[in-house]
Amino acid sequence: MDSTLTKMRNIGISAHIDSGKTTLTERILYYCKKIHRMHEVKGKEGGGATMDFMELEKERGITISSATTHVRWNDHSINIIDTPGHVDFTIEVERSLRVLDGAILVLCSVGGVQSQTLTVDKQLKRYKVPILAFINKLDRIGANPFKVKEQMTDKLGRQAALMQIPIGLEDNFQGVVDLVSLKAVYFDGPNGETVRQEEIPPELRDEARRYREQLLDMVSLTSDELAEAILEDKVTPEILHKAIRQATIRREFTPIFIGSAYRNKGIQPLLDGVVNYLPHPGQVENIALDLDRNQQPVALTADPELPCVAYAFKLEEGPYGQLTYVRIYQGSIKKGDELFNTRSRQKFKVGRLIRMHADHMEDIIGAIAGDIIALFGVDFASGDTICSPGLNYTLTSIYVPEPVISLAIEPVDKTSSDRLSRTLSRFTKEDPTFRTYLDPESRQTIIQGMGELHLDVYIERMKREYRVEVITGQPQVAYREAITARADFDYIHKKQTGGAGQFARVSGYLEPFEGSYEFVNEVKGGHIPREFIPSCDKGFQASLKKGQLIGSPIIGIRAVLTDGQFHPVDSSDLAFQLAAQGAFKQAYKKAKPHLLEPIMKVVVETPSEYSGHVFASLNQRRGIIISSVETGVYSTIEAEVPLSEMFGYSTVLRSMTQGKAEFTMEFLKYARVPQSLAEELIEKHRQKIEEEKR
Amino acid sequence: MVNNILSSKSPVKLLEKSITGGLGPGNLGVFASRKGVGKTACLVQIALNRLFDGQPIIHVSYASRVDYIIAWYEEMFKHLATSENLQQVMEMHDEIIRRRVIMNFQQAGMKTEQVLKGLEALLVQGSFPARTIIVDGFNFYLPASTDVKLFKQFALDRQLEFWFSCSLRGDDPLVDERGIPYVLKDYLDSFDIIFTLENEKDRVRVNLVKDHDLLSLKKLNLELDPQTLLLAKA
Repeated sequence: MDSTLTKMRNIGISAHIDSGKTTLTERILYYCKKIHRMHEVKGKEGGGATMDFMELEKERGITISSATTHVRWNDHSINIIDTPGHVDFTIEVERSLRVLDGAILVLCSVGGVQSQTLTVDKQLKRYKVPILAFINKLDRIGANPFKVKEQMTDKLGRQAALMQIPIGLEDNFQGVVDLVSLKAVYFDGPNGETVRQEEIPPELRDEARRYREQLLDMVSLTSDELAEAILEDKVTPEILHKAIRQATIRREFTPIFIGSAYRNKGIQPLLDGVVNYLPHPGQVENIALDLDRNQQPVALTADPELPCVAYAFKLEEGPYGQLTYVRIYQGSIKKGDELFNTRSRQKFKVGRLIRMHADHMEDIIGAIAGDIIALFGVDFASGDTICSPGLNYTLTSIYVPEPVISLAIEPVDKTSSDRLSRTLSRFTKEDPTFRTYLDPESRQTIIQGMGELHLDVYIERMKREYRVEVITGQPQVAYREAITARADFDYIHKKQTGGAGQFARVSGYLEPFEGSYEFVNEVKGGHIPREFIPSCDKGFQASLKKGQLIGSPIIGIRAVLTDGQFHPVDSSDLAFQLAAQGAFKQAYKKAKPHLLEPIMKVVVETPSEYSGHVFASLNQRRGIIISSVETGVYSTIEAEVPLSEMFGYSTVLRSMTQGKAEFTMEFLKYARVPQSLAEELIEKHRQKIEEEKR
Repeated sequence: MVNNILSSKSPVKLLEKSITGGLGPGNLGVFASRKGVGKTACLVQIALNRLFDGQPIIHVSYASRVDYIIAWYEEMFKHLATSENLQQVMEMHDEIIRRRVIMNFQQAGMKTEQVLKGLEALLVQGSFPARTIIVDGFNFYLPASTDVKLFKQFALDRQLEFWFSCSLRGDDPLVDERGIPYVLKDYLDSFDIIFTLENEKDRVRVNLVKDHDLLSLKKLNLELDPQTLLLAKA
C-alpha cells in the first residue's frame, strides 16, 4: 500500500463546550511546530487561539466555524478539523464528522460526561467514527479521571480503559504513567516541549499494575493474539499496540488519554495515540451512489490512480474569495485537472490548491485520495460531490434537520440592503440548516435556523464580516398544522365559458398519516386518465404549503383519490391540479385540523442550590420535567419544553443562577398546541390577514 | 382525563385495600425482600396506579442511570395495559408520563438532607403537586434512623405519603417470628406499613406484617406473576 496513505490521519476534536478543546488544539499545533507562541482562549493577551479565527468566536470564547489544519507528527501528516461544541451548530459538527476517519473526544476531568458530551458522542457513533478519549484539565480542583472513565462506560456505553494514570492531581499534577511502556512521563521546558521518561514512582507501581491489568483484560477480549500472549506472559508493547489499534478502529474499544492542555501536559502521548491507534484513510469504508445506475452503492478505494471522487464539505469566505474545503475519497486532484460537479452538472478546471493552517495557507500542486485540501475560485455549495469526467457519483448527503425558528430581518440602510442578498446566499451555501426566503405577504426577508443562538451568530456575522446591519423582528416558531380525522371530498373544477375550457372532478378522502405526506391513487376504470394522476398529487402538495388555520405548512396527511371524471377536450394538467386544491380546501376544515408546535428536549445543568429556581422556570414555560439527576454538587434536569416558551431563556437562566448553570436544547418532536393558545394564534392570524386586506 | 382507569378489583388496588384505611398522608410504607424478588415492580405498580388516577408522583432513586427506571415504568405499563385490557394506550401513556418526575441521586453517600432539599425544590419552587413519593434503593443497613426520622418528619410536614423499598441481605432468617425483617426493627416507629415479599416454591407471596398500629403477620391473597412481576390474585 502507498506509504503516504498509511501515514495520513484525518481527525476531529469533539467536545462539550468549555472542556478545553480550543486550548488542546492550540497545543497540538504548537507541538507540531506550526505556530511558535501559544495563546490562551479568552484573549488574555489580545490574541486568541489560532483556530478560532472569527471575531465573534474570540469574543464568546467558543468555536463556531470549523477550520481544517494540516500538521505533521512523527513522519505522519494529520489534518485536524476543529469542530464546534454548541448544539445550535451541530450541523457543522455533523458535516465535519462525515469527512473524518477518527476523532478525539475531549472530556473535562471535573465535569465528566455532560449532556452535551452525550449529543456529541451520539453523533460520533452515527457516523461510525473511531475515537480516542482525552480527559483534560487534570490540574483543576476536583479532577478525577477515574470517575470520568466510569462515566464513559456507564453513560456512553463505551468499552474504555485508561492508557495512562496521573502522577498527582489538581495543583500537584506532574505527569502520567504510560501503561503500555510502564514508564513515567514528564513534560519539561517552559512549554512542556521536552518529554522525559523515568521509572514509575514507587508509590504508584501497584496502581499502575492494576490499571494495566484492566487495560489488558479489556483489549484481550477483542484480540486472540493478545489473549494468548497474556497467558504465556509474553506481552510486548508491539503486540499490545497492534491489538489496541485493531480494537479502536473496529470501534470495540476506546483508549483514554489524560492530561492538561493548559499546563502543557499529556499532549505528545495523545498525538502518538492518534498516529498509533486511529485509522488511515484506506482503512475506512466509504460508499458513493452511482447516479447513472439508479443510485446503486459503489465502494470507493483510496487509490490515487483511480478516477477522482471528492466531497466539498465546507465553504469559507476568505479575504481572497471563496474557499471550498474538499475531502478526496478516491483518485487525486492536481492543478489544471478538469473535474465535474455532479449536483450543478458543471465542469470546471482546478485552479489554486491550498493546504490550510488556521490562518495562513500554502499552495500545493496536487493531493491524493484520503487528503483534505481547499480549492480556490470554484462555485460550490457544501455537500457537493466532485468527480472525474465519466463518473456520476454522489456521496450520501448529510442528514439535514428542518429549521425550527424564523426571524424577520430588515436592512437599516441602502448599503446594507444592497449587500444583504449576497451575504445571505453565502450563508445558505455554507450552512444547509440556515435558510432564507422573502415572505410575499409582508415583503420581509425571513431567515430560519436551528435555534436563537444559531440565528444570533449569523446576525452578528452579517455585521462584522459583511458590514450588513439589520433590524430583527421577534423570533417566530415554526408551527405546523395537522388533521385529526378523516374527511371526504368530491370537487368539480369547471371553467367552460369561452376560450379553452377547464374541467376536472376528483373525489376521495384525506386522513391522518404517521409520516409527513402520502398520496394514494385508487382510481379504477380510467375515470381519471393516468397522465393526470400526478397532477392531482401536485395539487395536493401545493395545498400543504399553507394550512387554513394560521397559514403554516401541513404535515401528517394522506390524500386518497378514489374516483373522478374528465372531459376529453377540456381536462388538463392544470385543471386537475386546481381540482385537487379545491378538493383539499373543501375537506381540510372537516378533517378537524389542529396546530402543532416544536417541542425541545432541554437539559439544564445547574449547581444543586438553584435547582428549585430551574424547576420553577421550566414549569412557567409549560415544560414537563422528565428527570433530575443529582450528583451532590450539580443537578442535571431534563425537560420537554415548547420552543415558543424558550426565547430568552439563556438570559433568564444566567441571571437566576449567577451564570453558573448552562443548558442545551435540541428539537425533539412536534406536539399539539393547547386549545386556548391555539385559539389565540388563530385569532392573531385572522387579524393579520384582515389588516393586510385593508 | 383518565381517572379511575384501573378497575377497583385490579390487584394493585386490592393491595392497598388490604391496608386499614390505605397508607395515607404523613405516613411511610415499605416493601422488603431480598434482591431481585420484585420490590421495584411493586413500587412501580403503586406509582402507576396513582398516575392512572390522575395523581402526580415523584420517583426517587439511588441508581446509576435514569433510563433503567424509565424502562421499568415502560415495561410495567405495557404489562398492566395488557392485563387490564386498557384502550387508547398511547394517549394514556403520554398523559401519565407528564405526571411523573424521576429524581436520581447518584452518590452512594448522598445525604438525606440533600434528597429532601431536592424534593422540596421540585414540590415548592417547581410547584409540582405530587402527594406520593416513591423511594427506591435506600440503604437501611447503614445506621439510618436519623434519616428515616427526617423522611417521616418531611412526610408529616408536607402531608405526603412515601413508599420505600428495602433490600434484605445476609443469612436466613431475615425476619423474626412475627415476620418483621430484623433490619427494619430500628425503624418500626417511623414505618406505618411494612410489606414483605416471600419466595414460596416458584411463586412470590405478599405479606402484610405491619398495618399501622397492628403488628401481625397477614398472608395476603396476592402474589407476583413470575413472568411479568405484575401483582395477581393468588
